[in-house]
Amino acid sequence: MGVVTKTEEFRPISRRTNQMNLFSLQFKESFRAPQWEAKLSIKIVMALVMLYFIGAFVLGASFIYPGLNKNVLTKEPLEVFNSVLVYLFFFEFILRFFLQQLPVTNIQSLILLPLKKSKIINQVLFRSVFSGFNLTPFIIYLPFAISMYRDDYLATQVAAWWMALVLTTLCINFIIYIINKDNRFFVGLLLLLASTVALDYYSIFDSGAWVGKAFDRVVEDTNYLALFVLLALCSYRLVYSFLKRGFYMDAGLKKKKTQVRGGGFAFLNVFGEDALFLKNDLRLVIRNARPRQIVVMSFLFLFYGLVFFPQEIYRNQPYVLAFAGMFVTGGFTLTFGNYVPAWDSSYYKLLMTQNLSYKNYLLSKWNLMAFVTAFCTLLAVPYVYFGWDVLAIIVAGSFFNIGLGTWITLFGGLLNKTPMKLNVKAKAFDNTQAFSLNQFLLTIPKMVLPVILYGLPAQFISPTAGILCLAGAGVLGILLRQQMATKITQLYIEQKHETIAAFNK
Amino acid sequence: MIEVNKLSKTYGDATVLSLDALSISKGEHFGLVGNNGAGKTTLFSLLLDLIQASTGTVTIGGVEVAKSEEWKKQTAAFIDENFLIDYLTPEEYFEFVAQLRKVDTHTLKDFLGRFEEFFNGEVLNQKKYIRDFSKGNQKKIGLAAAFIGQPELIILDEPFANLDPSSQIRLKNFLSSEENKATTLLVSSHDLNHVTEVCDRILLLEKGEVVKDTPKSAATLKELEAYFSGQ
Repeated sequence: MGVVTKTEEFRPISRRTNQMNLFSLQFKESFRAPQWEAKLSIKIVMALVMLYFIGAFVLGASFIYPGLNKNVLTKEPLEVFNSVLVYLFFFEFILRFFLQQLPVTNIQSLILLPLKKSKIINQVLFRSVFSGFNLTPFIIYLPFAISMYRDDYLATQVAAWWMALVLTTLCINFIIYIINKDNRFFVGLLLLLASTVALDYYSIFDSGAWVGKAFDRVVEDTNYLALFVLLALCSYRLVYSFLKRGFYMDAGLKKKKTQVRGGGFAFLNVFGEDALFLKNDLRLVIRNARPRQIVVMSFLFLFYGLVFFPQEIYRNQPYVLAFAGMFVTGGFTLTFGNYVPAWDSSYYKLLMTQNLSYKNYLLSKWNLMAFVTAFCTLLAVPYVYFGWDVLAIIVAGSFFNIGLGTWITLFGGLLNKTPMKLNVKAKAFDNTQAFSLNQFLLTIPKMVLPVILYGLPAQFISPTAGILCLAGAGVLGILLRQQMATKITQLYIEQKHETIAAFNK
Repeated sequence: MIEVNKLSKTYGDATVLSLDALSISKGEHFGLVGNNGAGKTTLFSLLLDLIQASTGTVTIGGVEVAKSEEWKKQTAAFIDENFLIDYLTPEEYFEFVAQLRKVDTHTLKDFLGRFEEFFNGEVLNQKKYIRDFSKGNQKKIGLAAAFIGQPELIILDEPFANLDPSSQIRLKNFLSSEENKATTLLVSSHDLNHVTEVCDRILLLEKGEVVKDTPKSAATLKELEAYFSGQ
């Protein structure tokens, strides 16, 4: 409401206006997207977060070259970097598969208009080039290239090397269209990665070096760049024909009808009435793109400890240790809990008219988070490699996550009144879809609390006291879960109408 | 069954619904007609406490809906696709609703058996999620679920829309059938034929106000048609 829309006159269609129309459509789509309607404060925060990440990458990447130079390596830094590129490419494929939302579905509304298919496809592919995922050449390769130039490479060599990487990124950008359409291709990709690693490990075939050589070659003789141009053109052509074949309502444009996954979960019936919601929550996670994405991300949190624990300087800093310890197992709670009840936004009206116990509903979300956190704790056991004290902090952190972190995020989720599109992947950089400043502020106690609970006693009494205090607080939260649930239930009921209205948008 | 007292809903300056008093007795089949923007969905949302009334009260079975949740035990509704959980299969969805209404598996199976003809073999055992069904079949799923556990009050918004002709007729027969005699039924529709056939009392709303509230008679359909064609 409140948006003034100008109706445009109909003009006779000429070839040129056709092309212009497509672009103006695209322009409108971008600028009328819901994320632009987000509050200014959120936009600023998001912009800062984005700048932070870009800055971090650029800074990190600019240290690669000097870093490789410093070490006693028999090889040139460029050669070393080139030889790991293949793994970087694999990583990019996987990241894109999970996160990149491709603009293919928009074709449907254009299919009957007097536009040439080739024009539409070219336009879609052209647009995809401007995705945030194609920033890698700028945030990773460009800083490296600059370091090369400052060493003793010629400008033409550096430019050729960088262009080769830009072209490879474009190849990945196009090929991901095909991979994204069919999970079998993704499985194939994973198998390829596994076999690459295995062959490399047993020194049968070193694909890293092999791919690296191609990039070495470009530096030696810049004419080899032509090969990369050819490669990019071929992949463009491949995707082009792939899309053209799928240009029918019953082929590629059809929404994917998924096979039913996840059965009855009858074994959960032992939980009694709780099982009713727990079953649905499991199905929610298994069957929808967005929650699946969140689960994958929460497992990445498991590796967060690797940033801190191996480094001696942090070993005597209790505040940092508590922070890291909480994050290792806290990924799922943080990411999933923040979207309760938004996960159920598309059928919130149903829930609100059924004879259901709100408390059971909340407790089932709590159960799920507690279960996943416990599971993550099991997976985190290998951290014992860095010492029993590290494992103790992680376990204490996991108690905190189950006992208190869950309730804090459930409370935060209540403030999040943005409906959630379940089966749509979030875009990496413009995810204001469900982001609120309040919520952002609420993640602060979740991070600060363990730091205080562990840090203070550890600093002034002993690390053991810190661990006991952190774990104890969590156990208290677990014991008092009924009371906690009752309290939050009251808040949920108070906000009922506001939430329904917000989810209805 | 339902008592509405001085109920109104305003957004800013605009009053979208204003009902002085409305009383619907148990077992009544109550039809609601009106053009877009007449306030039909607003009324239903107020009855179900999905939106807050600006003034006035709604009571269902003696309980004020905004104050207690007791009414949920005897009420079911299908307003729009927001009442479907689209990543479930129809079977799982029915099972979920049945468990909430304390209906056991055996009774549910019997119940669904009676919908066989209405479902036309396109709903059960399809091994697909509700989101992958056509609009018409989604509607059938939502309608059937509303009747699980024999609620005393059932509210249906536009139940005939999106259904194919055979299904419309089957639905009409089901709503008028013996087993729904005792059920209080609230139905809104743009189809004057259907609504006059199914309901025994018709309320005509326009711009949030009652224009006509009459028991159905042989002349009702003609009168409604005359009203809506502007004569």
